[in-house]
Amino acid sequence: MKSLVSRLGGRRHATALGLLLLLGAVGLAQGWLGLTLLPPLAFFYAFLGVLMLLYGAMPLYTNRRLTAHYWRRTRRNRLAVAGLWFIVFLVLLAVIGPFFTQSPTRVNFPEKNLPPLGFTISQSTFDLSAGQFIAKETPGVWEHPLGTDDKGRDMLAMLVSGAGVSLQVGLLATGLAVFLGAVLGVTSAYAGGWVDNALMRFTDIMMTFPFFLLLIFIVFLYGASLTLIIVVIGLTGWTGTARLVRSEALSLRTREFVLAARALGASPARVIFRHLIPNVMSPIIVIATLSIPGIILAESALSFVGLGDPSVASWGRVLNAGQQTLDTAWWVAVEPGVLLFFTVLAFNFLGDGLRDAFDPRTEV
Amino acid sequence: MRRYIIKRLLYTLLIAWGVLTITFVLLRLSPSSPADKYLLNLTARGQDISQVIASIEARYGLNRPIHEQYFQYVGSLVRGDWGWSLSTSMPVLELLGRHWVYSFQLILLATIVAVFLGILIGVYSAVRQYSRADYIATFFSFVGIALPNFWLGIMLILIFSVKLGWFKTYYDTALPILSLDNLKALVLPVLTLSTGMMAGYTRYTRSATLDNLRKDFVLFARSKGVPERTVILRHVLRNAMLPIVTIIMFDLGSIVFGGAYLTEIIFGIPGLGRISFNAVFAQDYPVVVAVTLIGALVVLLVNLITDVLYTYLDPRIRYD
Repeated sequence: MKSLVSRLGGRRHATALGLLLLLGAVGLAQGWLGLTLLPPLAFFYAFLGVLMLLYGAMPLYTNRRLTAHYWRRTRRNRLAVAGLWFIVFLVLLAVIGPFFTQSPTRVNFPEKNLPPLGFTISQSTFDLSAGQFIAKETPGVWEHPLGTDDKGRDMLAMLVSGAGVSLQVGLLATGLAVFLGAVLGVTSAYAGGWVDNALMRFTDIMMTFPFFLLLIFIVFLYGASLTLIIVVIGLTGWTGTARLVRSEALSLRTREFVLAARALGASPARVIFRHLIPNVMSPIIVIATLSIPGIILAESALSFVGLGDPSVASWGRVLNAGQQTLDTAWWVAVEPGVLLFFTVLAFNFLGDGLRDAFDPRTEV
Repeated sequence: MRRYIIKRLLYTLLIAWGVLTITFVLLRLSPSSPADKYLLNLTARGQDISQVIASIEARYGLNRPIHEQYFQYVGSLVRGDWGWSLSTSMPVLELLGRHWVYSFQLILLATIVAVFLGILIGVYSAVRQYSRADYIATFFSFVGIALPNFWLGIMLILIFSVKLGWFKTYYDTALPILSLDNLKALVLPVLTLSTGMMAGYTRYTRSATLDNLRKDFVLFARSKGVPERTVILRHVLRNAMLPIVTIIMFDLGSIVFGGAYLTEIIFGIPGLGRISFNAVFAQDYPVVVAVTLIGALVVLLVNLITDVLYTYLDPRIRYD
């Protein structure tokens, strides 16, 4: 046991492998025995949690000086810090928000088309006492600070729910895609030869499909649910990471410290886990951060064209509804887009900041 | 050079075969078979199902072994038999042939605008690095990259069509393609599609130009008295073009069923994106398959052209 652990290069990887295998076993048991131990999304959370804890939090905790160094370098980039705060705000909004907002699906026609606070619009409503349509000034009210849509649903509630959807898809699908890409990239680089060739040709084929079109094709064939969308994005979005990790690992493979380790008799597993993976972690973190916005946008676009999960209120769906009511309720289309825009911007800034912080050549 | 092109062609064929195979696997793994989607379509139109079941199974060979199905699938696609569209009752290729021009005009105009303005602004802001113009350009390129283009399209409609009333909210298909009215109808869609690309090209051009401005050959050209204009155009920009062309060609391949797809849906332009969108909702199986394949083939073709283009842009690149 001890030798196996040390061959895997420290207990961290063994733990990760064990937990992932356990997760897979639970999944298989669920599939075969027809039990419902965990809801499908919980698998992704567990998967992402294992990866983040063992490959994100743990190294940061054990190398506190390095953590402080990276944090100092990241902090100097004000836009990156602003992006980070916005993301933290969004996560809090998505987690705590639903307890304070109304139900995002509650339809209430008497309160339809209320503008956001501070705006007043004139709309014609049917007056029961007069028995005819009259033009009425409608101000925004405190109960619906961001207004309501044409069915009287609270905009704030829908946006909070949408933040949850976007972050879930963004984080979980990215976790899956980056994990696959990293595994394939390192394998390809380390194995070389026909394995490398076959894997890279497969990557080329996958890259040939326009991402969004492949997404639509698969959702068309298999039906839309949030879990499926996450799986599909995860299974198709790994190509960029695989290429990047492969090229990084290839250049590392011939470096002196790897040669030295191999000369000392280190096994392939040890070289991969001890020397290659830790050294490709920073580009992996950067590419993960920078691919989140694209994935969030893809999910929004999918919901926007009406192919998203019909059971959740995502930003794309609200936006789609907003396009139908542009002339009566402009805010329904404006608000989700503004949030989407700032979310994408925040992840882009954070990713750029991290890239500069991790790159010792740049002056921050 | 010729040997390289032949090798590259063979490689393209290999990838195309891979693309066909993957679509086949996806189709076969799908819980609903093509017959279901056919039947759904026919029942929706009130036809008697029992008569057509046999013909569908024969047509698609659904009762035959899987490898025969595979050869039939690849074979008929290679022969150009892409099936019939169910919702419009015409051959798929003819349907796509009628509509591609709407996508083409949109993509062509948007690309021209984006490439021209993007490179112009990028070079200017690199030459005047850290000037006010540079900061403004950088700010707007960050904004442009982060703007979801489907939202931008809706905002443009809201401002220019709904509030100001300058344009129609919907694309008028009755207009002849080569007319001024059609050009006017395309203003908002082209703006929607080109903003993100333009922002990207500005950023890439700026950084590529900055990289080359510091090179020794620029110093040399300046010191021998070459006018600054010539230095920028001949020496800097030409060397900076390679990464920019890569990005442009990549966009060109992916945009047809990416940005243009969404733009067509927002503005109701009956191009390939809109066709595929309608096909998905009409459960028009052959059209969805055809569009996915064509999307991939367009990317393949563009990649091929890019690689060959490289050898002309940079004679130092030799693939032998």
